[in-house]
Amino acid sequence: MEELKSKLAEILEEESVEDNDVLEEFDYWDSLTILGIISMVSEKYKKTFKAADIRACATIGDLCKLILG
Amino acid sequence: MNLKFKNKRIAGILTILPKRVVAFEEEMGNYNFPEKKSLRLKKIMGYNTHRIAAEGQCSSDFCIHGLQYLFDNGMLQKDEIDALLFVSQSPDYFMPPTSNLIQGHFGLKHDMICMDINQGCAGFELGLMQAFMLLEQESINKVVLMNADVLSPKVSIHDRNRNPLFGDAAAITIVEKTNDDEDIYVAVKMDGTGAKSLMIPAGGFRMPCSEETAIEHEDEAGNFRSLNNLVMQGDDVFNFVQREVPPMIQDLLERAHLTADDIDWYMFHQPNKFMLNKLADAIGVAYDKMPSNIVENFGNASGVTVPTCISFNLGEKLEQESYQMCLAGFGVGLTWAAIIMKVGNLSFNRIIEY
Repeated sequence: MEELKSKLAEILEEESVEDNDVLEEFDYWDSLTILGIISMVSEKYKKTFKAADIRACATIGDLCKLILG
Repeated sequence: MNLKFKNKRIAGILTILPKRVVAFEEEMGNYNFPEKKSLRLKKIMGYNTHRIAAEGQCSSDFCIHGLQYLFDNGMLQKDEIDALLFVSQSPDYFMPPTSNLIQGHFGLKHDMICMDINQGCAGFELGLMQAFMLLEQESINKVVLMNADVLSPKVSIHDRNRNPLFGDAAAITIVEKTNDDEDIYVAVKMDGTGAKSLMIPAGGFRMPCSEETAIEHEDEAGNFRSLNNLVMQGDDVFNFVQREVPPMIQDLLERAHLTADDIDWYMFHQPNKFMLNKLADAIGVAYDKMPSNIVENFGNASGVTVPTCISFNLGEKLEQESYQMCLAGFGVGLTWAAIIMKVGNLSFNRIIEY
């Protein structure tokens, strides 16, 4: 979980991220970041997501649940 | 679909680029995004400048300019052309075929085959495959393969996720018979269930252009485009390429009894630097063997990117040297194709502008 969060922070260009952080509120929450997440998850977790799956998440916590679930 | 050919070679490559250079920053104001975000996109995707045709310039104009250049410089004789292939998604008309128009423009002999092929990102590999198949015939000795696309008029300038990556260009590749009997390994695959991942919805018979289709709408990512514009589902295309292309290359290498290191150059279609680097990682190839500098310099002109990549990165060197190459294209269709063959000792390999 912590490893995933640090990866997400890296993609979002943030120092760190917390479960309650709202995705829409990040400066770099956009389609490029979403593609970055799809790519990282496919590489590290061998899972395939569509942009709409990622967009359906509201917070970092939701996103982690989706990826690790 | 695995295919194999012998006694065929690429004899020359001429890439024709529009003179007009448009920088990423010039168009940034058209996008509905803060500058900071657009510059981040530029950096990660490797965008910089792209070549855009002048208003009214069509794909065929670049082919005609290139052919005239080859005739004028004695690099190709009119009467030795046995087949003229035009691979494009931007023909002059629905009918007649653009290849026939080009044949007519130059008054070429009647004893030849003109053929338009509707392919995009894998258009160079599909065009070469068709050229090789024609060259199996006794009466066909030289095929002129034209890859050309001027899609800029179909891309919304308000679409940050599509506009900066496209470019216009054409390439003419001469394919002929040779006594050299090196095997040429070809792999082609198609998946029409993903056909709508890359498309121009309006403008054909199914949905003619109308006032309604010209209205721009905002998509979920904040881009504006109409049904007349080219649209690409970036996530679907990315997932498809990462899933399908690496195993196709591994399989082709095995068939050719080669390892990834035996290939001198991986000349791949150029969607953007990000995707190419991910592909290189997945196949296990060093970035310097898989050039990814076409989008940043010229933009992605669908099937023209592979010959452009060869002309730009190897130039005259390929007139003296010969390399084991792996060519690959992937995208619209969905179509993905790869070829392993020796390419070299060309009569010409250069870029001109029009």
